[in-house]
Amino acid sequence: MKRVFKTLGVLALGSMLAACGNNAGATKQADTGSEGSTQASESKSAEGVANVTIWSPTDTAAIEAWWTEKIDQWNKENPDIQVKREAIDRADAYAYENKITTATTSGNLPDILYVDGPMVSYYAANGITVPLDSYFPADDLKDFMPSTVQADTYDGKLYAIAPTESSVALFYNKDYLDKAGIPYPSDTDIKQAWTWSQFLDNAKKLTTADYVGTNIIMDKGEGIIYALGQFFTEGGAQFVSDDGSKADGYINSDASVKTAEYLNEFIKNGYANLDPVKDEFLNGKAATLLGGSWNIADLEKSNLNWGVSYFPVADDGKAASPTGDWAAAITKDSKNPDAAGKFLQWAMNSDNIASYASAVAKPASRTSSYDKMEGWDSGARALMKWQLQNTGVSRPRTPSYSVLSTDFSTAMLNIFSGSNAKDELDNVAKNFDENYEMYYKK
Amino acid sequence: MNNKKINKVLGNVIFYLGNIIVGLIFVSPLLWMLASSFKPELEIFSNLNSLTTFIPAHFTLQNYVEVFQRLKVFTILKNTLLYIGIVLLGDLVLGSMFGYALAKLKYRFRGISLTIVIALMSMPVEAIILPMYIEMAQLGWVNTMMGLTIPFMMNCFSIYMFYSYFISIPDELIEAAKVDGCGPVRTYFSIVMPISKTVFATVFILDFVSRWNDFMWPFLITTGEEKRTVQLAVQIFVGVSPIHYGVIMAVLTLASIPMIIMYIFMQKFYVEGIASTGIKG
Amino acid sequence: MEAKLSKKGKREYGDNIAGFIMSSPALILLIAFLIIPIIYTVYYSFFTYQVVRPDNIKFNAFNNYVKLFKDANFYVALKNTIYFTVIVVPVQCILALILALMVSSKKKGVAVFRTLYYSPQITSMVIIAVLWTILYNSNANTGLINAFLKSIGLQPIDFLNNPKTAMNSIIFMSAWQGAGYQMMIFIAGLNAIPGEQYEAASVDGADWFAKLIYVTLPGLVNTIKYVLMITLIQAMKLFTQPYIMTKGGPRNATKTLVFYIYEQGFQKGNFGYACSIATVFFIIVVTLSIVVKRISRTN
Repeated sequence: MKRVFKTLGVLALGSMLAACGNNAGATKQADTGSEGSTQASESKSAEGVANVTIWSPTDTAAIEAWWTEKIDQWNKENPDIQVKREAIDRADAYAYENKITTATTSGNLPDILYVDGPMVSYYAANGITVPLDSYFPADDLKDFMPSTVQADTYDGKLYAIAPTESSVALFYNKDYLDKAGIPYPSDTDIKQAWTWSQFLDNAKKLTTADYVGTNIIMDKGEGIIYALGQFFTEGGAQFVSDDGSKADGYINSDASVKTAEYLNEFIKNGYANLDPVKDEFLNGKAATLLGGSWNIADLEKSNLNWGVSYFPVADDGKAASPTGDWAAAITKDSKNPDAAGKFLQWAMNSDNIASYASAVAKPASRTSSYDKMEGWDSGARALMKWQLQNTGVSRPRTPSYSVLSTDFSTAMLNIFSGSNAKDELDNVAKNFDENYEMYYKK
Repeated sequence: MNNKKINKVLGNVIFYLGNIIVGLIFVSPLLWMLASSFKPELEIFSNLNSLTTFIPAHFTLQNYVEVFQRLKVFTILKNTLLYIGIVLLGDLVLGSMFGYALAKLKYRFRGISLTIVIALMSMPVEAIILPMYIEMAQLGWVNTMMGLTIPFMMNCFSIYMFYSYFISIPDELIEAAKVDGCGPVRTYFSIVMPISKTVFATVFILDFVSRWNDFMWPFLITTGEEKRTVQLAVQIFVGVSPIHYGVIMAVLTLASIPMIIMYIFMQKFYVEGIASTGIKG
Repeated sequence: MEAKLSKKGKREYGDNIAGFIMSSPALILLIAFLIIPIIYTVYYSFFTYQVVRPDNIKFNAFNNYVKLFKDANFYVALKNTIYFTVIVVPVQCILALILALMVSSKKKGVAVFRTLYYSPQITSMVIIAVLWTILYNSNANTGLINAFLKSIGLQPIDFLNNPKTAMNSIIFMSAWQGAGYQMMIFIAGLNAIPGEQYEAASVDGADWFAKLIYVTLPGLVNTIKYVLMITLIQAMKLFTQPYIMTKGGPRNATKTLVFYIYEQGFQKGNFGYACSIATVFFIIVVTLSIVVKRISRTN
């Protein structure tokens, strides 16, 4: 400590020479402080080399390794296009978006930006990302899941491309179902999936002093609209008009309100926690789980006696399931959009998508990639894939998506904690329409 | 006599018993965090309703292994310490000078400067973070060490701490220096600074802790693994599915340990330092 | 410049030069990185500004402010901020004082207890908030506090999801986290009270309670004022806890002004509008600081 104070004193004196006379020796040391503070900015490109920077959220160790390996390979094979990826650390999707928002204010975006599926239209409508149609012609897009193309298209143009998809299914604890005398729901025939009434009824039967009937809340942000949104589709509701310009009369329709009230039955009656710990199901503290494809690998590693079935279907048989994953887009700030496009074509080819999807244990967005991936012909993975091809629906596409997502999640949480469903959804509609009116009305 | 002895023993018993009980309750959340970091994932929530939840039954280092596998701990530590070091330099040197001027020099604009410091002290960074970023972008400082550190080199709370400490230094001491022909700046560095170790230690700790714990600004202004600081690293485990609490607890524990060690070593200075700033108000 | 200064005599002249030299580096930094961003904020508050469209900013005079004064959420946020401040300041200060009284003696091992009480303060609020979200979990099977309540026969409390308890839960946690710092200041204040005063009181036959009222508290007046001031200033800034634990909910129960500024500016992209809220917030905070400063000076 003493030394610290001494150094500080010397440094301070150095800068004070003008005022206090005759202290010559200190100047040198005073300089050392600033040396470390300037860091080399982006390395200057050699002539003819296009530099491409990618931002994507920090991911699991396997995906981080995939990035390192693939970028090394690309950079070796393509000396004229040098790619660099920056992992963005974030606690949730919203934090990552804040980072993008901030960079947008001053033209500091990277060339390639990974964005969450439903945000594609927001960024596209605001001119932050540029169309990718020339890199992914219609012919090539046929290989992708319909929900992927749907989510990544805005105003008739492709603005992003996702390597993976996601889906949500109903996981159940076999021991708990046995105890309650409930037969296992099917994982091969959607006609024998649990309906809404069965889901609610079973959740009630499954709730005991030691565990709750189900876990339906993923987080307090984007997870709400992602996981619960498709109940609204099944209930015959729609979040916004087809062109994404209006929410009044859609999000607050009768069907919508009924769906919200149905979901609240789980929370209100204590069949599900409003604020579950993230691995409640894994810990045996919930009998069932509306879980994602990303839960599979974890569950396989555990000793839990679990099974999987379809995302619950409406009582009239109408089925939908959540979809969507992070997608790559090229930004307006990119100085080398063509180089970025070329890299994306390569990164999103059938082989690379297959290895990427395998690393993250998520469903691939390309149909042809499944030929190169193991384990997707049966069990939970096959079910996820089937849902994607048959019942998957993308989240609403609208430039005001961020307002919709934030307010919808707030509204649902409020409903779960006792607010009137109609009032809350009216409020979402009002805020959405106001936002659209203010910024996007043509 | 006997009565007094009994009273003393009784006082001791109350003192130790009371403090041990309250102290344990007080740190129980942190103890639980520590205990959970040594548990296999499935044990964490398995016995919450008994005190055994504070003891890992199947002790494992797996969570820590995972953290170390995942993170370049050395780079992160280096980044964080560099960031803190530069910020502290500004704060301790420039901030203390300002604090001294406010406390002891009768110069023009002193009153208004003090008011500005106090008013800015209550300004939350979150409310102006976007304009701050815009300014950094205009300076071309985004994703640089300058952008990360310089805006935080001056901290009004530290200035105020220095100010409140220096005010308590007797004027006679300064007058005596003047009589000896020492100018105010010289007086500060050769007379005032050496007797003010405690306040420097206090500001050092407070600033160290708050920079160590800073998340929002490093997150927005820097990009990429090479520049990652501690709190950004913590986010990885909170943010990437599937979430495992054992690893979260391990990384939270690791992120707190350096602070606790530093505090224990500097405690002596620290209490005195706060003493000297606090009571004069 | 020189002519003006020389009137005041040599000493002040020296002080003036030294004052400028010693304060200008710090002042320049403050102006450059705190005051300029504040000026930007005030400036943008007169514009319609979708945050990701810096190319499309429209001057709208006082529209944001007109909207603000009609915005029910703004008043809710204001009310929540005031509520938090009014409750947390006394709670935290009293807790800190009690702790300080418990560890102000010179007994062996007292440093250990001080460290225990101080330790939450060293841990970051982000970490604390993540940890307490888990501790506060509403289900007795997964939340430590509710597991404890259940084991002593009480009903579990839905701490963070009930509008009635959410803010109080945050207050409790914040007081727990912050009290250690104020405790240190109180310890210092207690040590500064001359021992003779206690001896004199003992001679007069005062018990511990009387000593507390007639010796300790009067001796701590300045310390208490200082502690109240810094706690107040911290409390007005409340952001991290609702950001991590509740996202401002449930039913806006924990939406504070700073959180609302963040939510409007970042989350919903209404940057111009967020700036107008921030400007009003600045005015409140600056006024408050000046008032507090005046009060502490007059005594």
